[in-house]
Amino acid sequence: MSTGLEPRRQVGVDVETTEEELEELIGDRALARDDHKNAPGFVIRPDEVQDVLFDLRDEAGFDHLSCLTAQEYADRYESIYHLKKYADPTQEVSIVVPTTSDEPTSQSAEPVFRTADWHEREAFDLVGIDYEGHPDPRRILLPETWQGHPLSLDYNQTKPQVVSLTEHANPIQPDQKGAESDTMFLNIGPHHPATHGVLHIKTVLDGETVADVEPDVGYLHRCEEQMCQSGTYRHQIMPYPDRWDYVSAGLLNEWAYARVAEDLADLEVPEYAQVIRTMGAELCRIASHMLALATFALDVYGDFTAIFQYGMRDREIVQDILEDLTGQRLMFNYFRLGGVAWDLPEPREEFFEKIRDLLDELPAKVAEYDDLLTGNEIFQVRCVDTGILEPEVAKQYGCTGPVARGSGIDYDLRRDDPYGYYENLEWDVVTEDGCDNYSRVLVRMQEVEQSAKIIEQCVDLLEDWPEDDREIQSNVPRTLKPEADTETYRAVEGAKGELGIYIRADGTDKPGRFKIRSPCFHNLSALPEMSEGEYIPDLIASLGSLDIVLGEVDR
Amino acid sequence: MSGASFAPVPLQQDSDTVLLPERVADLTGLGELGVAGELVAAFIAAFFVGNLMLAMTGVAGPWAKRKITAAFTDRIAVNRIGPFGLFIIVADAVRLLSKELIIPENADRPAYDLAPIVVAGSAMLGFAVIPMGSGIQLADPEIGLAYVFAVSGIASVGLVMAGYSSSNKYSLLGGLRAVAQNIAYEIPLVVTGMSVVIFTGTLQLGGIVEAQTEPLITLGGFAIPAWYAFINPFAFGLFLVANFAEVGRNPFDTPEAPTEIVAGYQTEYSSVYFVLIYLGEFLHIFLGGAVIATLFLGGPAGPGPAALGIVWFLVKIWAVFLLTQWLRSALPRVRIDQMIEIGWKGMLVLSFANLVLTALIVGMIA
Repeated sequence: MSTGLEPRRQVGVDVETTEEELEELIGDRALARDDHKNAPGFVIRPDEVQDVLFDLRDEAGFDHLSCLTAQEYADRYESIYHLKKYADPTQEVSIVVPTTSDEPTSQSAEPVFRTADWHEREAFDLVGIDYEGHPDPRRILLPETWQGHPLSLDYNQTKPQVVSLTEHANPIQPDQKGAESDTMFLNIGPHHPATHGVLHIKTVLDGETVADVEPDVGYLHRCEEQMCQSGTYRHQIMPYPDRWDYVSAGLLNEWAYARVAEDLADLEVPEYAQVIRTMGAELCRIASHMLALATFALDVYGDFTAIFQYGMRDREIVQDILEDLTGQRLMFNYFRLGGVAWDLPEPREEFFEKIRDLLDELPAKVAEYDDLLTGNEIFQVRCVDTGILEPEVAKQYGCTGPVARGSGIDYDLRRDDPYGYYENLEWDVVTEDGCDNYSRVLVRMQEVEQSAKIIEQCVDLLEDWPEDDREIQSNVPRTLKPEADTETYRAVEGAKGELGIYIRADGTDKPGRFKIRSPCFHNLSALPEMSEGEYIPDLIASLGSLDIVLGEVDR
Repeated sequence: MSGASFAPVPLQQDSDTVLLPERVADLTGLGELGVAGELVAAFIAAFFVGNLMLAMTGVAGPWAKRKITAAFTDRIAVNRIGPFGLFIIVADAVRLLSKELIIPENADRPAYDLAPIVVAGSAMLGFAVIPMGSGIQLADPEIGLAYVFAVSGIASVGLVMAGYSSSNKYSLLGGLRAVAQNIAYEIPLVVTGMSVVIFTGTLQLGGIVEAQTEPLITLGGFAIPAWYAFINPFAFGLFLVANFAEVGRNPFDTPEAPTEIVAGYQTEYSSVYFVLIYLGEFLHIFLGGAVIATLFLGGPAGPGPAALGIVWFLVKIWAVFLLTQWLRSALPRVRIDQMIEIGWKGMLVLSFANLVLTALIVGMIA
């Protein structure tokens, strides 16, 4: 297995690749064009996947396998590789790989992009496509004994499947004792104080050193994609994103759906609503990063210490503001296609006052965190140079968000693929070059400050917004029926990274295929790279620094 | 004590202090019944001291620990039952004792059952020789200090027993960590304790306390006593740190390390066994505080009449307890390898340096 880290030829990644160049590069390997709304699409043969992807990665600089969507049509299966560039995510290309219904076998892209490993397992699990040459072709979300592939067309959705105890063997049960072995197999989770949810990490220990790590996900799989596929675009899907990353990142998730649906149906969003969205989303980011900080401290400190409580206290203030804005504390359901649900709460002055108080107090609080947390020698000893994630490795695993930025990858969709009101505001993308747990903490803390900066500008704008121009929603038809076979993939910068959604419209008022690209899913897949060879406490710290939410990993 | 009809019989040959058992024997008249009477008197005295410590743990575990941590972390904690939530102690006692005792299938039975008793018992034994003031001291043997270190060291055996007999990998890791840690920090602890012995010339705890009663210097009419914390603050600091590692408190709580290895050696313990292990941990913190108070803080010494000794002594123990809770709320845990490194490469070297320096200074002055 190639590590996939050796580029064949050095290319200037900043160079823009035009559609003609793409056509030329893929050449007659392209059987047809299948353009998506967001990107040019090329149909290729299932046995030329690696060939084409290697070329795109090394010759054209498409180094980011953002997402892999699998779906079944009446006459074929299809895998879509959504490629982007880390240097410029607006440059996208979709590689469409159809396979026959009788024998859905496609070449694995794992040697080109490590992140294809988990993605192809998911595609096999839920849709039923086999990937030839895949190093580990197992189910990933469903139990090993599951019958059929839930998102395939001939799957009986109504037939209950009882996974009995005998069939679905307890993963903790097998005795891993070996006479010759000098290592110890340890199940961390699914119930463990530091897994932040139901995550199972199969760990092999050599003394206290971690020799092998394999995250086992799927315990919190709630069929989110299918639920979205059975809801109507206009109103029934929006409540679901709140439940993906459910720790106060709700508005950021809602924006992911809002963006993709607005793109699909060509909806306009009034500027006023965009400013409110931007402000709400950044409030969510602060709340989410506060929680990330608090729980990371919990993992490193080992107890519910002052830091944890301070983090929760400060998150609470943000939570109150969000409650005023949306009427809810966690499951906001505030965004609507074409705008937001309602205007800012009255009296507006009081609401703005609350936000300004938060912003005024924030610098002192950040200083307090610096004193207590990042300035603490023991904390530094624990976090500096542990959980190393080199930028090239991070790109291979499709890492995004604070995890990627902690590895020095200057990638933030708010700036690089602008949406909302971000491009009109003054703020910076934070990066740190340490590649370690400490850098990821620093990135999150500084992002809180940047978010505050954005919110402040939004509040300034909203305060002076003329009263007769406060349009919160554009005119959106009661029933949305995008044209059949319109496909698009759009992503926003969620709390944990690039949160993308692929939708294929099938001519009805419900999506034909709804695929969620979860940043946590990618970030978690990099955990083995970060923790092998280090100690158990470092593994726990690295896991904490990834800031995963299992609701988003398993969907 | 001036007995009317008989002279008090000291438990130690060359001790002038009157110990608690003798006092009990005097007061109750049991002393007149010969050896059997003295035995009963000694038992009553031990019962008293033991219960004093248990009562302290009872207050500390379910109530004080919660209140202190809450104060540090901006919370309120228990406040519903009784004044200041104090009756939570009763509620918790009932709750803990009525829990189901779950014993893992593959547990190594005698060891699994004995471990909690060893952990709790070893700490209890240590209190036998501590001079707590107001005449409360069960025995004052010449090897007092060595005895305290020895019996509290037995706890390590209990932790290993708990670790391996639970048949749980987390317990095993915790047990191994506990041993590694106790070995690494026991030596600096004892060696630093030795530096005090160089000053006093005796291992007898009564003697060590007595040696600290003289005023060191008088500043503006206020006498600073010759506590070894003032005479040798360096040794005091070393001893404190080694003690925290010894009792497994932050930043050295690696044997339990909740976020890493669930609960370490006590993962599989429930109900009464769990209570016993927890009791042992608290007793060890208090014993650590008692040793610190005795060696470095003048034992029961304090302003006011000598009868207040026990009060001052408890204040000092609780101060150490408070410090452990403060550290717990404020400091990250070090990694196990860093922990061992600090122990062997830092603490050991420093403690020997302290010992040699103390010996040189004492040798030159004396």
